[in-house]
Amino acid sequence: MVTRLFDLPTRRGRTAAGAAALTLALAACSGGGDDTASGEGEPVDGGTLVYATGDAEPTCLDPHVGGNYPQALISTQYLEPLVGRDADGEIQPWLATDWTVRDDGLTWDLTLAEGITFTDGTPLDAEAVKVNIEHLQDPDTASSTGWLAVQKIAEVEPVDETHVRLHLSEPDSALLESLSMQWTAMQSPAGIARGMEENCAAPIGTGPFVVAGWVPQQHVILERNEDYATPGPQTENDGPAHLERIEWRFLPDPATRWAALQSGEVHVIDNPEPEAIVAAEAGGEITHIDAPRPGSVNRIELNSAQAPFDDVRVRQAFVHSADVDPGIETLYQGVATRSHSPLSSVEPMAYSDPTLFTTDLEEAERLLDEAGWSQVDDEGYRVRDGERLTVRLPVSTNQSVAAEQALFEQIQANTRRVGFEVVLTPLDLSAWYGALAAPEDGGKNDYEAVSAPYTKVGPDVLRILYHSDSTVPAPSGYFANLSQVTDPELDALLDEAARSTDPERRAELYTEVQKRVLEGYYILPLYDQQNHFLARGVTDVRTLGTVSTPTFVDARLTS
Amino acid sequence: MTVLRWLLGRLAAAALVAWVVATVVFFALRAAGGDPSEAILGGPGSQASEEAMARVRAEYALDEPLVVQYLLQLARTVTFQLGDSYARRRPVAELVGDQLGGTLALAALGLLLAWLLALAVATAAVRARGRVARRAVGLLRAGEVVASVTPHFWLGAVLIAVVAGGAGWLPATSSDNSLRSLLLPAVTLAVPVAGFLGQVMRDGLEEAHTAPFATTARTRGASEGWVLWRHSLRHAALPAIALSGWAFGSLLSGAVVAETLFGRPGLGRLLVDATHSRDVPLVIGVVLVIALGYVAVMTVADVLERVVDPRLRVRVEAVRTAPAGEVVA
Repeated sequence: MVTRLFDLPTRRGRTAAGAAALTLALAACSGGGDDTASGEGEPVDGGTLVYATGDAEPTCLDPHVGGNYPQALISTQYLEPLVGRDADGEIQPWLATDWTVRDDGLTWDLTLAEGITFTDGTPLDAEAVKVNIEHLQDPDTASSTGWLAVQKIAEVEPVDETHVRLHLSEPDSALLESLSMQWTAMQSPAGIARGMEENCAAPIGTGPFVVAGWVPQQHVILERNEDYATPGPQTENDGPAHLERIEWRFLPDPATRWAALQSGEVHVIDNPEPEAIVAAEAGGEITHIDAPRPGSVNRIELNSAQAPFDDVRVRQAFVHSADVDPGIETLYQGVATRSHSPLSSVEPMAYSDPTLFTTDLEEAERLLDEAGWSQVDDEGYRVRDGERLTVRLPVSTNQSVAAEQALFEQIQANTRRVGFEVVLTPLDLSAWYGALAAPEDGGKNDYEAVSAPYTKVGPDVLRILYHSDSTVPAPSGYFANLSQVTDPELDALLDEAARSTDPERRAELYTEVQKRVLEGYYILPLYDQQNHFLARGVTDVRTLGTVSTPTFVDARLTS
Repeated sequence: MTVLRWLLGRLAAAALVAWVVATVVFFALRAAGGDPSEAILGGPGSQASEEAMARVRAEYALDEPLVVQYLLQLARTVTFQLGDSYARRRPVAELVGDQLGGTLALAALGLLLAWLLALAVATAAVRARGRVARRAVGLLRAGEVVASVTPHFWLGAVLIAVVAGGAGWLPATSSDNSLRSLLLPAVTLAVPVAGFLGQVMRDGLEEAHTAPFATTARTRGASEGWVLWRHSLRHAALPAIALSGWAFGSLLSGAVVAETLFGRPGLGRLLVDATHSRDVPLVIGVVLVIALGYVAVMTVADVLERVVDPRLRVRVEAVRTAPAGEVVA
């Protein structure tokens, strides 16, 4: 028995000899083994796909409640939005087949697809849309992302069964983009009526799968919706999914997810480490899906509301000395591409200007001298009026991967060459938000620089991140405009863009907005928000053009 | 009478544990920053509406002064009213109950493996004869030291990469309480504890093996094996039993790492998640169960020591029941 074990085909390299002793002890218990065949097999119908996510386990499976990425990820399998977005960023029909907006931008008419029912048999009609939007707006739902998205809808008027009219309090050119997100996806009114606890455990939608069970900290079981009839704009299959079931597992450790994928325990993993992506790209039976998130890029925001970054010259000096390109290349091993834009590369309106982000130490030193930081202390840091040129950069260890933290350390070393002292403080998520919060809300604004992710479909994310309204903290003390830009001209451009229904004018305005943000050196763009999936033993996994979540409508296991 | 007093002492210890846990957890989570009402409204940075935040603050008494909140929490904790989790909106008792079995199974198998490993190493060490065997024992001693300082996360990661990912012999993920599923995480937990227990047992064995009672037994014609199993092991087991209470505590804290690494459900992961989201009732619930479990295991270890070592029982009884040779020592 023991000797036979060593003859089993191993996929990746032989085990270290040191493991041999242990193996003897384990041999007796390793009976089953995995029977997943290696190599490219034929796609088959049916079967259970095992998905292992590194994102947090949602506390509620209804993405209307709260509204974060882990909820979008899983709810894509059972809830569908009114509209979709294709790979080019164009809004496409989905549950709603058509829409018109009146000239004043305040009244939207949506036409719903006919004969659609939720998986509990409740019809998807105008009344259902009304219930959903009111659910998002109800404070008891505790919606955040979805609430922000439908904030400007003042009233939902069901005209007839398949026609619904939305009355807005002010024009909102981002409305369709907002309605394409999972956080505003449609749910059965009967499901919502069951109350939050039951709806959180198993939301009811029109998606290709149905929530069949949830064992917390372990998995959610999703079963095929046999009556599925509402394929989105990016899938081929127009009937029920090929897969019979999905087991959605929560595996927080990236090395474990990778090992589980290698050993055939799971078929798809998300949030892999760069090394795993490189290994997958090198060939073999693992496929890599690179699906950058929309909205903003990963960037370092420079806090322009307090010294030393209230001076544009100091911000510019920081940017010219950071020298991030070599770090990104080595740490991410080629899986992340440098960005020079506030927006993700998947946003059609993204504007990029690499000339602003060159590395130029002499220029950086000149700018710092000019800004009055001309003295140098014993340790080589610049000082002004006895005050050291210190940049506090709190790092959220829950949101930042090892490679990114190493990149921050490189930036720390690089900017030191011109006299910046960058203080990196690793914090857990809650303490990190505490460090960012405004003084009047118990926080301390304890940061001069910070990297904060933000995902929203479309360029309207710029309004959330750079409008002066967003420097006013929410009741939680959090605010999205972390670079604390307060520029009346920028506000005016953003307001006009939000009201404008003319796509060309909108594009012009957003280009202008991005130029102002970049030229003001408020941010140091790094790379797209990373969204990678590795798959093995499964074909036709696709990601949606909205928030880049995977869908398994077309997926088939390979024999 | 003495038994009753002893039992009352244990109950007092349990109450003290509850008070300390409630106090430390409450203030530590507050000092760490963050707003519990965020946890209730879907996590930090959720940008919930002002109205929603106000409702939640009122509902959970978060608008009361800190002292009042603390006293409320304390009152609930010492009466074992664990309440509802902020983030998961389910009763804490239910959440803890769901995860308790997995962690106990893991810790129990970990302790068993640690004992077996330590016993094997210690008996092999004292029974070693000849130069080569003696050399091997020297290596084993070094191995014990290395094992006892091996970090759980490192050992777990190596096991996952080599045994699961590389060779595919055992699953990298561990979802249920089957032996196949439990083995890798249990080994991860057992090795450092075994290293420590092994050193203690070997010292005890070596000492007992050369003690007068062992010599006496040998002169009466007892075989080496008989001396080892009948006499020496009892001596070696005593300090190891006393340490098992500590070991179990160490296994529970190690379970936090093992459960996260192997993606196992359990109290450890529940605690990590709850701490991240500042879910005060859930953190208190988990820590309380772990702390009380520790008190319980210590109690069992005390009882076991009395069973194994008659000298710890009432003196008269000891004289009556103990084997003649042992009273001398």
